[in-house]
Formats: sequence, structure tokens, C-alpha cells
Amino acid sequence: MAARVLVLSSILTFSCFAEICYGAVSFSSLERTLVVTASHRQGLLLAGEDKITVAWGLNQSFPAGTDSTYRTIKVQLCYAPISQVDRAWRKTEDHLSKDKTCQFKIVEKPYSNTNETLEWTIERDVPTATFFVRAYALDQHNNKVAYGQNTDAKKTTNLFDIQAITGRHASLDIASVCFSAFSVVSLIGFFFAEKRKGGKGQQ
Amino acid sequence: MEISSNGAETQPKFALPVDSEHKATEFRLFSAAAPHMRAFHLSWVSFFACFVSTFAAPPLLPIIRDNLNLTATDIGNAGIASVSGAVFARLAMGTACDLFGPRLASASLILLTAPVVFFTSIASSPVSFLLVRFFTGFSLATFVSTQFWMSSMFSAPVVGTANGVAGGWGNLGGGATQLIMPLVFGLIRDIGAVKFTAWRIAFFIPALFQTLSAFAVLMFGQDLPDGNYKRLQKSGDKQKDKFSRVFYHGITNYRGWILALTYGYCFGVELTIDNIIAEYFYDRFNLKLHTAGIIAASFGLANIISRPGGGILSDVMGKRFGMRGRLWTLWTVQTLGGVFCIILGQVDSLSASVAVMIIFSIFVQAACGLTFGVVPFVSRRSLGVISGMTGGGGNVGAVVTQLIFFKGSKYSKETGITLMGVMIICCSLPLLLIYFPQWGGMFCGPSSAKTATEEDYYMSEWSSDEKDKGLHEASLKFADNSRRERGRSVHSQTLPSNATPPANA
Repeated sequence: MAARVLVLSSILTFSCFAEICYGAVSFSSLERTLVVTASHRQGLLLAGEDKITVAWGLNQSFPAGTDSTYRTIKVQLCYAPISQVDRAWRKTEDHLSKDKTCQFKIVEKPYSNTNETLEWTIERDVPTATFFVRAYALDQHNNKVAYGQNTDAKKTTNLFDIQAITGRHASLDIASVCFSAFSVVSLIGFFFAEKRKGGKGQQ
Repeated sequence: MEISSNGAETQPKFALPVDSEHKATEFRLFSAAAPHMRAFHLSWVSFFACFVSTFAAPPLLPIIRDNLNLTATDIGNAGIASVSGAVFARLAMGTACDLFGPRLASASLILLTAPVVFFTSIASSPVSFLLVRFFTGFSLATFVSTQFWMSSMFSAPVVGTANGVAGGWGNLGGGATQLIMPLVFGLIRDIGAVKFTAWRIAFFIPALFQTLSAFAVLMFGQDLPDGNYKRLQKSGDKQKDKFSRVFYHGITNYRGWILALTYGYCFGVELTIDNIIAEYFYDRFNLKLHTAGIIAASFGLANIISRPGGGILSDVMGKRFGMRGRLWTLWTVQTLGGVFCIILGQVDSLSASVAVMIIFSIFVQAACGLTFGVVPFVSRRSLGVISGMTGGGGNVGAVVTQLIFFKGSKYSKETGITLMGVMIICCSLPLLLIYFPQWGGMFCGPSSAKTATEEDYYMSEWSSDEKDKGLHEASLKFADNSRRERGRSVHSQTLPSNATPPANA
């Protein structure tokens, strides 16, 4: 019994060490050391057309050397809570590997100690929703070690709306209508042909 | 052209051996001989096409839900809509087959629903998405025409097999589409289209396939071994029946209602899984769209052997144990399907889930095949209506199940699957109540009353007026041919040694 408890507790302890060694696995354990801002034109932003200017950098109120482990910066477009309602595939989970809040990558580049900006054209596969911008700092093993976002902790401020492309084209619409008409007309045609064959009497 | 009422077994004009109704007594899969095997191939291919169209959206939902801004509730509603249209369409189709013949009935439906599949490409909101899925789902009524056509072309010893293979290979479409659509989508996207356009173009493939299969049915098919309804009705060889009588005798047969309920919990479950499984694997195990599609496809692809297997098993059990064997096998297999469904909802790992899903699919689809080993015997006059009721019941099961367990965010998908398994087990119990006076039921043997023969059972559907006019001849032949359902030991005792008795004069 005591042996079992000992084995169990050592496994638990080792796994905790493993977490520390291999990087945090939960969002709540990340430090918000980055400052991120996102600016854009007024009104509803259109995917494929409008641009967002994203700026990020280390928060200077943190001691120097905080960013010693940062190797890569990954800036992502993330869903605001209102766009996650009744959509389990966009759910926020504390466990980072299960978290689906941020599904679109704006940029991923090597980390530099200076403040950086980027003008990003919204990609055409971004859906209609409300978003914010978050940046993750990754260490050399590609584990997330810190983050920053342009909104507050409750994700209520500085949100912006994006309107997706419809994906429809005039040529598609016309093709649909033509083929549909063809199906119906050919059915009527078949009926007429049958009637005429039947009218000619038995074979 | 005279057709002798004696119907000798070796008619030179048929490629396969036939019985007194000219229905084939053998099922040769690799032949395309007219009219029997050709009808088989036409019916399963056209049914396959309808299944591909109806379930073309689910594997692409991760893309569509972003394009059309769908919520989980919208997706659930569209899934329910996709299977609810066919509830009444199947019943209507059954009646249409009885009155106009399966060839015209099925081809008309397919060509009238093809436009809706084309219009899926221009859907732009949750409402339009729901509408296209609703109307596309009507095409699943071709199931009834498939089973009716097979029951008209194939005789009792092989009717379960024919129904099972045709139904199974048609249902295959629900699995194949989970593979085809992501592939087609990927191809179009790689050519250069944007995701939100690529899925729209992809829908043209199932739509065109559906249209072409309907043309083939119209050009190469025929309703009965002896010809098409219209021609046979003109020559007087087939009597035109009255809709009200056909309908009445169908819906007043309690066995049809029981089979409708139980079919709702094998086929209905299959439809539900077709709608939810790709998203389930994609979301729960974080798979790529392509991978989730492949796994989801393997559920539907099991139909290639499982449903036919059910049909063949039904015929084998029917030969040895008669109708009672068919009923017992159906109940056992369907209940086991429920057990594996419960397990599927409980397992946590990807590999275990896939394994359990495949076992579950085999049992649930075999149960579908077994059901249609029983259906052809419930009624002769109203075969179409009974087939339609059972088929429609399948869709009702899908609607009810999705409404209770898979709409919105009330239950997690895993819990929904487990509860669905429990419901399968409960809703299979009514099979215990099915009883044929001439053959018995699960717990009772055949009645020993003098009026409990096959003829009495099938003649009870005709009034004495109608019998005077000779409208019941086909049913009489069928009653005779169905004597095999007493099982081997009883069958050999009551008849002379030759295999098929001569038809009554």
C-alpha cells in the first residue's frame, strides 16, 4: 500500500517536473509579458481586402532578461467570446493543446528584442466573426512561454468585426441554374417520349 | 405475347432461373443480364448517388460552418432536416411504386431533387443551408423504390440477399461521400480556388452523378420481369390497383408499424452517425479534415459487406428456420448493435474508437439488411406501402435521435452516442410482438388453425369482389412461393419432393 502511494506520488512529481522542463501546458500559467496593439480602419473589416496593423513588443515594466528564453513570436487572430457561443469548435480551453481560440496565424517569425509592427491583409478564409489579436512567445522547443493580446483579460475591449467573403461567383450561380433546368427539362422530355412510345401500341 | 400461367422453371427468355412470377431464384452478382441483374445494378447505383448527395455536406462542415456562419444549433437543425424530408417521401414513394412502377417513380424523384444539390453551391446563410439539406434528403426515398424493385425481381430464396446488397451498396454512398467530398474539395482548392469557393464547386460532382444515374434508370430499366407497368397494364397482364385499397391494407398491418419503429433504430442510427461522425472525430481527436473524413467513411463503407451480409444471413436463417429464424436473428443483431454503440460513446482513445465504430457499423448495418429480409413477406398487395412505412420509419428514427441527443450543446457528442445505444436496445424489443399465423413469431409457433396458411394470409388483403375479378392472382402465386418461410424441417414434411410446387391453376 505504501509502495503504491510512493509510486503514484513520484509519478505525479515527475510529471510536474516534466511540465516545467518541457514548457507550460496551460494558458493560465503563461505570463502576459508582451504588449500587443492592433489598429484598423473604422467599420466592418472585409476579408481579403482590409488590412490590420499589428504591433508587439516586450512590456518594459518587466525586468530585463524576462525574454531570454523567447526564440519565436507567433501572432494570431483569435475569436472573441461572442463568436464562440454555441460553437464548440472554437472553444477556449486552459489546456493549450486543446485550446481552439486562435485559429488563424498572422505571422510567425524569430523574436527580436525591439518593438515590431506588421501590416496584414486579412486572408480570404477568415470567417465572419468578432476577433482580437494575441501574440505567443515560443522558446527553442516551440513551447509557449508567454503571451500578449490587444484586449483585456476578459476579452471585452478592442474587439473588431470581420466580414468573410461569400465564396460565391456569378459563373457558379449561372451553372447551377442551367444544370438544374436541364435535369427538370430532360425528365419532362422522357415522359413525352414514353407517352409517344406507349401510344404507338404494344411492341 | 402469351405468358403461360404454369410458368415452367426454365423459360428460355430469361438469363436466370425464375419462379412462377418470373422472379429470379438466383442472384448472380457479376451479371448485368436484363431484366433482373440489370435492374439490380441500376437501382443500387442510383440509390448510391442519392446517398452521396444527401451526405455530401457533413464532411465539409468544418469549412461550410465558417463560410455560412453556422452555430452548432444550425448544424444540428440542418442534419435533422436532411433526414426528415424523406419520412413522408418514402411513404409516398412506396405508394407511387405500387401504382406507377419503381422505374418511373425513382427516376422522377432523382431528377427533381438534382436541382437542389446544384443549388447547394449558392447557399449563403443558415436558412438556405437548412433548406437545401432538407430538399436533398427527399432523394433518400429512392431506397423504397430500390427495395420494391428488388422484391419484384427476385424470389423468396434470394430476396433478402438482393435487398441487402442493393440497400447496402446504396448506403455505401454515405461512406464514400465522406472520402469523395474532402478529396474533390482538396483538388479544387489546390488548383487555386479559395476554400469558401472550392466547397461550392465540389457539390457539382454529386449533383451530376445523380442526374446521370437517373437517365440510366429511365433508359435501361424495366419495372417487372415481364415489362413495364404501363405496357403490362395495357395488355391486361398487370391489373391497375386502387390507391385507397393499397394504402389501407398497408397501414392497417401492425407488422409494418413495428418494423418501422425498429428500422428507425438501425437505419436511423446509421443516418445519424453519417451526419455527426466526421465532426465528432475532427473535434474530439483534433484530426485533419481529410483524416476525419477517412475514419467517418469507414463507417459507411462497411456497408459493402455488412448490409448484404445481413440479407444473406436472413435468407440462410429463413431457409433453415423459416420466418422465426429471420426474426430472431434480426433482434439479436440489432440489440448487439446497441451494445456496441454504448461502448463507442465510452471509449476515449482514437484507435479504440475507430475499432469499436467499425464493429458497431457491421452490426447496425446487418440489422438493416435483416429487416428487409422480413419486409417482403408482410404484404404482397401493399408491398410498396409497407416498404415505404419501414423506410420512412428509418428516417423518423434519425430525426428523433438527432433531436433528442445531437441538437445544440445540451449533450456532448460522446454522451449522445451512449444514450443512442440504450435507445437502440429498447426500441428493438417490439420485434418480439411480430406474429404470422402461418409461420409463427419469436416466441410462438405457427397457428394450428385450418385458416392459417400462406394463401389465407395474403388473400385477406383482397375482398371477394376483387377476387371475383381475378385481381388477386399475383398474390396467390406469391403465397405459394413463400411457403419456404416455414423452415426446412416443416417445409419438407408438407410438400412433395420436388423443390418448387407447381402454381395453382
